[in-house]
Amino acid sequence: MTDPPNETDPERFLRLAHREQRGRLTAYLGAAPGVGKTYRMLQDAGRRKTEGTDVIVGIAETHGRSDTAQLLEPLEALPRHVLLHQGHSLEEFDIDAALARNPDLILVDELAHSNAPGSRHPKRWQDVEELLDAGIDVATTVNIQHIESLNDVVAGFTHVRVRETVPDQVLDDAELIVVDLPPEALIERLEAGKVYLPDTAGRALSNFFTPTKLAALRELALRFAARSVDRRLSDQLETSGEKNDFVSGERLLVAVSAGKGGAQVVRHAKRMADIYYAPWTAVVIESGSARAVRGAQRDQLADNLALAASLGASLMTIAADNVGQALVEQAKELRVSQIVIGKSRRSRWFEWRHGSIAQDVIRHAKGIAVHVVPLDDADEKPQKARDPHPYRDPMLGLLLVGATVALIHFLLPWISASAVDLLMLLPVILSATRLRMSGALWSAIWAALGYNFFFTEPFHTLNIYSTEDIITFVVLAMVAGVVGGLAGKVRRQAETSAGVARLNASLARFAGLMGGISDKDETARVACREIGMLLDVEAVIVSLEDDEIVVRGDDKSDPLDIVDEAAARWTLERGEPTGRDTGTLNASDWQFHPLKTSLGTMGALGIARVTQQRVIRPDDATLLASLVDQTALAHERLVLEAQARQVGTLRERDRLRGALLGSIAHDLRTPLTAVIAAAEAIPAEGGFAEEVRIARTESRRLQRFLNDLLEASRIEHGTIEPTLESIELADIITAVLHDLRQDRPGARVVTRIDPDCPFVSSDPLLLRHILINLIDNALKFSPADSQVDVELVARDDRVMYRILDRGPGLPAESQILFDRFERLEGSDRVGGSGLGLWIAKNFTEAVGGTITAGNREGGGAIFEVALPISETRGIETHA
Amino acid sequence: MRKDVLIVDDESAIRRLLVGALDRTGLSHDEAATAAAALRIATSPQPPQVVLLDLGLPDRDGLEIVPQLAALGLAVIVLTARDATTEKVAALDLGADDFVTKPFDSDELLARVRSAIRRRTGSSVDAKLRTFASGSIDRDAHQVIIRGQLTDLTPREFDLLWTLAEKPGRVMTHVSLVESIWGQAHKDDLEYLRVAVRSLRKKIEADPARPVLVINEPGVGYRLASETR
Repeated sequence: MTDPPNETDPERFLRLAHREQRGRLTAYLGAAPGVGKTYRMLQDAGRRKTEGTDVIVGIAETHGRSDTAQLLEPLEALPRHVLLHQGHSLEEFDIDAALARNPDLILVDELAHSNAPGSRHPKRWQDVEELLDAGIDVATTVNIQHIESLNDVVAGFTHVRVRETVPDQVLDDAELIVVDLPPEALIERLEAGKVYLPDTAGRALSNFFTPTKLAALRELALRFAARSVDRRLSDQLETSGEKNDFVSGERLLVAVSAGKGGAQVVRHAKRMADIYYAPWTAVVIESGSARAVRGAQRDQLADNLALAASLGASLMTIAADNVGQALVEQAKELRVSQIVIGKSRRSRWFEWRHGSIAQDVIRHAKGIAVHVVPLDDADEKPQKARDPHPYRDPMLGLLLVGATVALIHFLLPWISASAVDLLMLLPVILSATRLRMSGALWSAIWAALGYNFFFTEPFHTLNIYSTEDIITFVVLAMVAGVVGGLAGKVRRQAETSAGVARLNASLARFAGLMGGISDKDETARVACREIGMLLDVEAVIVSLEDDEIVVRGDDKSDPLDIVDEAAARWTLERGEPTGRDTGTLNASDWQFHPLKTSLGTMGALGIARVTQQRVIRPDDATLLASLVDQTALAHERLVLEAQARQVGTLRERDRLRGALLGSIAHDLRTPLTAVIAAAEAIPAEGGFAEEVRIARTESRRLQRFLNDLLEASRIEHGTIEPTLESIELADIITAVLHDLRQDRPGARVVTRIDPDCPFVSSDPLLLRHILINLIDNALKFSPADSQVDVELVARDDRVMYRILDRGPGLPAESQILFDRFERLEGSDRVGGSGLGLWIAKNFTEAVGGTITAGNREGGGAIFEVALPISETRGIETHA
Repeated sequence: MRKDVLIVDDESAIRRLLVGALDRTGLSHDEAATAAAALRIATSPQPPQVVLLDLGLPDRDGLEIVPQLAALGLAVIVLTARDATTEKVAALDLGADDFVTKPFDSDELLARVRSAIRRRTGSSVDAKLRTFASGSIDRDAHQVIIRGQLTDLTPREFDLLWTLAEKPGRVMTHVSLVESIWGQAHKDDLEYLRVAVRSLRKKIEADPARPVLVINEPGVGYRLASETR
């Protein structure tokens, strides 16, 4: 089932938003061939070109007319795509070249044209849709009789049914330009030979060219354009937020049946929906007896549903026994205001026997307007499946009656006449429950005849003397009818519920099977096997791996050819169904359905059937959708499981590394802490004063070295996760200077701090390390008696720590100095881990800052750490 | 005899160093290598005044026994690594008095121990008058005197200084400060505190860019200097 047919506000806005990015379609609409659509389109294109628009001609027919050819002259034309089909070479519009050329505007003549077999899309309007989707503006031409919803209307008065139609939706968002010509002028042109008519259709089309018909077509075209303008107006009102008083609040429901009549009703409903601006739903009621519909009729039903969908209807299928009642119930549920239903011109007898659904609907529909569309299918007999054994049921009836007669003869000495009457009911009841209605009636006839012949006087004749005999005959016939009818109903209901139960059971089984597998190949194999069995098709699962199509779940080595692969790729990349019986790449033998999940398209299910029928019967569509969903879910589960496993491994590795780092930190730091504390406890005086000083500075250096190593390993493993908090940057400097007094007593560091420097959101520990490393580096390269300056300044949207020294400064290639273990020339003697600046750079980047180095005026180096300012400002009033 | 300091560390080298430092200043001491031993001494009839607690103990996480020691009325000073800010905050939240980062400077460590003992002995703090390094606060008179000067504070600045002065020298975590001044609802709004500290420093520090009274421990909290260094 699909969603209710109302286009909710978000959907409407999405559609409008979508339209913003899409290319714009301009359609030159004419009432008949020859009004000058192509000419007008080319004129406009020429003007656009002189205005500077990048216009190209995708395809345009001059029909050998020089004035049109003249207009074509200055425009760039796209070379046509030549296709070989059954020995003929056919020239078609080249969609790929058009997409590659990517112009501002492309002209694509004859929107309703059918592409040659083997093209990407069967219809040209589908090519146009793709161009629009790619953001290219398209100009095209179309005649009113090619508009899908008007197809019946035009056929109704011209008696020509046009095969090539364009769904109304295609033109929904189009700018329509009506190319209008009074009928008389057009006929004049026709007579002057200025109108080109293709040879094959020439005769038929000439049917159009009578003043009345042309006037009617012209009216249709103008009305169609007017409606389009109306619709755009209401869309604009909607987006601009103004209240739209034009929307009627109507909602339509159309009952779709098989046969040509079904299509007629659908088109009628579309026209009504257009008039009311109403959303509409096409409903198929599957009753027990309708389920018996087979073959061609089933395909017709699918076609009619597809037509409704292409005209913008929401689709619904409902299983119910009473068609009329189910329709009305559904209508009430959807709060439908109008029901459209077709009514065959069948005989009264047929209607009396089968009942009329239309009558039923009218009887039940309270408060809902019912439109009954008379159908032209009087000649269309309801197709009955041919009975392969027409004589079987009567013969079986005869056999049963014969056996009963024989039994009665055997029992006659012991039973009364009234028992004979009752016993004769036996074969009738039996055949009514077991055979079809016709079989039951035959049994009743046989039984009546047998009764009359064997058990009424005069015996062994078929003469009827008493009214009693007539009553017996009538009773037998009625018993057969009533019992047969009831039995049939029970049987159909049983079939329906058995079907539903079978469907549910197979889905449950499928889900169960898929749930137990944790391997991609096996999942595909089981899914394909089960789907193949349930739907009687061949199935594969394709996916893209490293941009290659990978096929799974099929035993054959290479089931897909180039066309199939193209279709599969399309589905995988765009998440749309493609291939056989679809609107895209239907030259493929396979039909592909995307396996969509919350993680994206996991792959595609390909299905194929050896025979020429549809791959999927309409009543299997729901089952297929469920199976596709289940398969997609199974694939999603596999991916999620794999991710979970990977996360588990990573976590374990992290834990081990954490344990290792922890133990190094503890095992090395603890003795070092003791060494440092001991060295500092010894007074640095007397004969060993220098040694004590060396022990102190070198143990501190060892400490820094160890810290560098631990931090470098954290960076390498990507475990630096800043903990952000609001920070007073001056505090960090104070803390670092405090540390420095311990680590490097006697160092001369002078600070210049902007007291009104804004707060930043950052990680205090990382900032502290950055400053320690940079100041340490500056001290390392400075001459013993010079000072290092540390500044905190605010500039625009950033704040900066600046560390300035009076060392040798930096050579030209100073960027490498932030690399690991990189020491600039001549710095060897200074010592150090070679990691300090690399760590500073990484930490700076981890808190979203940038670090730069340069030379200071008057000698020395400058390192700058710039940090973004926190966004939360202006709360001073709370202080 | 009641000891001044209980040293809890499983590394004998560290213990011996601390013993040496304490001996030189004349502070009496006890030693424990495990959490269990530490608790035994702490619950004895004559408990020490201050516990120097290393958090990496062989039998238990040192953090676990902080609440018990604090509940016994002992001043707990935690020995911790410089980067272990979450550990420091956790220890303070659990009732620790102070922390000293390793590798430690003996002078600083001894200063902290003395400060902790002083806070304990003078625990009957005047409910109205609090003093710190170079100033005093009289709550009833709403008067603040810094370096002999009467200083005018806003109510918010006064609250902040009063809270910090409750135990001078002891670090108060950011969260506990924000909570006690702005209330529970604002406990994550650290920026309020930063703004208030900055304005307070402008009034009470000699050089607000180089504060010596209101000292920040990055990632942990603030302490008010108890004595001028």
